[in-house]
Amino acid sequence: MSLSTAFNVISSSFAANAAQIGVVSNNIANVNTTGYSRELANVVTNSYGGADVASVTREANSALLEQVSSSTSQAATQQAISDGLTTLAATVDDSSSTSSTSGADENGASPSAMLSNLESALSTYEDSPTSSSAADAVVSAASDLASSLNSASAAVQQVREQADQNMASSVDTINSLLNQFTAANNAVVSGLQTGVNVSSAEDTRDKIVTQLAQQVGVSTTVAANGSESIYTDSGVTLFQDTPRTVSFTPTPTLVDGASGAAVTVDGVPITGANSPMPIQSGALAGYAALRDTLAPEYEAQLDQIAGGLINAFAESDQSATPTLPSLPGLFTTPGATSPPSMSATTGLADGIEVNPNADPSQGGDPTLIRDGGISDPGNSAYTYNTTGSASYTGRIQELISQISAAQSFDPSAGLGSSSSLTDYANASVSWLQAENQQASDASSYQNALATQATSALSNATGVNLDTEMTNMLNLENTYASTAKLLTTVNSMFSALLQAA
Amino acid sequence: MTTVGANLVSTQYLANSLVGPVTQAQSQLTTAMTEESTGQYADLGLQLGDQSGYELSLKEQLNLLQTLTTGNSVVSTSLSTAQSALSAISSSAQTTLTDLATWTQGGDSGASLQNMGQSALQSLIASTNATSGGQYVFGGENSSVAPMADYYSTPTSAAKTAVDQAFQTEFGVLPSDPGAADISASDMQSFLSGPFAALFTGASWSADWSSASSVNTSAEIAPGQTATTSTNANQPGFQQLAEAYAMLSEFGGSQLSSDAQQAVATAASSLISEGLDSITDVQAELGSTQSTVTNANSSMSSQLTIMQQQIGNLDDVNQNTTAAQINSLTEQVQMAYELTSRLSQLNLAQYLPVP
Repeated sequence: MSLSTAFNVISSSFAANAAQIGVVSNNIANVNTTGYSRELANVVTNSYGGADVASVTREANSALLEQVSSSTSQAATQQAISDGLTTLAATVDDSSSTSSTSGADENGASPSAMLSNLESALSTYEDSPTSSSAADAVVSAASDLASSLNSASAAVQQVREQADQNMASSVDTINSLLNQFTAANNAVVSGLQTGVNVSSAEDTRDKIVTQLAQQVGVSTTVAANGSESIYTDSGVTLFQDTPRTVSFTPTPTLVDGASGAAVTVDGVPITGANSPMPIQSGALAGYAALRDTLAPEYEAQLDQIAGGLINAFAESDQSATPTLPSLPGLFTTPGATSPPSMSATTGLADGIEVNPNADPSQGGDPTLIRDGGISDPGNSAYTYNTTGSASYTGRIQELISQISAAQSFDPSAGLGSSSSLTDYANASVSWLQAENQQASDASSYQNALATQATSALSNATGVNLDTEMTNMLNLENTYASTAKLLTTVNSMFSALLQAA
Repeated sequence: MTTVGANLVSTQYLANSLVGPVTQAQSQLTTAMTEESTGQYADLGLQLGDQSGYELSLKEQLNLLQTLTTGNSVVSTSLSTAQSALSAISSSAQTTLTDLATWTQGGDSGASLQNMGQSALQSLIASTNATSGGQYVFGGENSSVAPMADYYSTPTSAAKTAVDQAFQTEFGVLPSDPGAADISASDMQSFLSGPFAALFTGASWSADWSSASSVNTSAEIAPGQTATTSTNANQPGFQQLAEAYAMLSEFGGSQLSSDAQQAVATAASSLISEGLDSITDVQAELGSTQSTVTNANSSMSSQLTIMQQQIGNLDDVNQNTTAAQINSLTEQVQMAYELTSRLSQLNLAQYLPVP
């Protein structure tokens, strides 16, 4: 080996050192960048014995990344459902105002509690059938019950509309992320062809995939040329060389029974009952489940309660030989001419009201609750108290027993086909709170998983400052030694030249 | 370059590792403090889940029991009013019976018989029209109208008119007519047990005397238990007493012969005895309802206690546990703060000499 070769080695050492310092600086600079994957300089011996930085690799871990994105999706789904159900649960939230020691006066505002209040009011009226204040109390309990059903129904509508809006903004986010992904993916593909360092573009891609996973569950594959494709967790392509169009038309008003539009990718629906490949996770899936399944089911239950209520209080023809049909009594809906069929109750919870004929604030007569004839005050066929006795309690007793008597419900609302009105209302509260509890538990579980996976990913691919500092000290020493070597070789050359 | 082992911990993770637990502990701390101060779960619905409906049904039963207990006090008051009115009726009948026994035929013109009858009838009418909470207790379902019409009203009551008419039809004269003195005791007896007695039963009674409904009021006194909570003035006791008093009042001071007056007094005292028995029966019936209501109340009161305990089991947190939880959470947060400040010192750069 000649002295000039030693010079070559020294200069390659300086170059390699500079390249490694570059990598260390890069790592230190990104110590707090979320999603940054640390870089490693691969140093090799070159043909004349010196050192070269052959390549810089990125410490990626696709398995962990996959786990992060899948648990993020799951957590987002449950969070979306839980948020919506919490809003719905507020309509039955009796916890804030109840106390086991203070008892009956504070029963909350759920339809179920209001039904219980109505039952109490009727029972009091039964004990004092001549008291007009007891009759008024029944009317006001009835109108509280009707308005609690109205407001629960309005809350369902509001939750569905909110979910619909959230779906729209989720779709916007997905489209914008897919566009950003296009740029990053192109940079990776062209960088690999030209041999440029693509680490930062790859970081960007990973970061976008994780963000996308918030909105919709995804899986990815990387082609031989480095291009990454994204699919939904149900297998619909979101990105393959170019982004696919995700489209959604928001529905501003979602009244009871109306269904919102589905989200489509290239025309294929990915949400809703008609989707061949419905998405399983991500916030979008959560909103869709809330809008299309959970909220409508609760609404159906409210409608069943309203329908059951109108039927329980309906009045029948009291003539010796009844010929007239039954009519809605204390509870009715505007313009109703007959009690509803339990298989067609859509919109009843929204429309139910106290019959104006019994409501003193609308010119009605509350004592008709005792005597009958609310449905048609002019027609004596519907009068139960035929003798006009002031203490007649037969009808009131009948109404009380109707509330606790078994009646049929539409099983499609998910709470069975036969139970009493009280039990049905309670079962509906149970159903809602159970769904809420489940979503909340699943949400915290998935969030914990996501946090754990993110930590594992951070440890596997992130930067440790101390390691980088140690590397830097090493490089500093190498630099000093190389400089020393250079001076030594230089003085050797000088000695040689002087001797000559 | 130093190789990176499996034990590497990223600096970012190290710095943030305690943020998550601290946030979680703080949120648990808020929940625990709410529960400690209210004694109940912070979010009951979330805590109970599908048990919520069960809890609601317990509260509804509790509500119902309380309403029924309150309602029973109304029932009890009206039953007590009825009982005391019946006692008054009974004691007035007893007095009249004693007075009749001491009355001797021919001792006076019969004016004392008349007074006896009149005052007893007035007292009967007043007692029968007793009210509780504005409701006539002997009205049956028709509790808004006084059950027994005033016999001595002006203009002449339908009942008095009917009595006069019946007498005139039978004997052709009015009781105040001197011609009435010719009526024999046996004729008088057959009149009293015939046309006169008919005025105090059936349709005549309802038309002239009573506005009460024969249907008694009933109310639910315990869940699923309905009791008849009143009686009515159409009971035989009321009819018999009214009949006896009316005959004394109408025919006692009249122009009747002393034999006929004796017949009236005899008929009246046997009717009063019968009436007393009937009234006692009615009192016994009401008394049994009263004890049913009392029993229902005491059974509901023990049910109420059980319900409240059950609701408490579902709703209430153990405050000792919550207090302990608050302590340990506070310690955890403090520990996390301590560690965070120590970890921030763990940095190689701190120990490197500044060149």
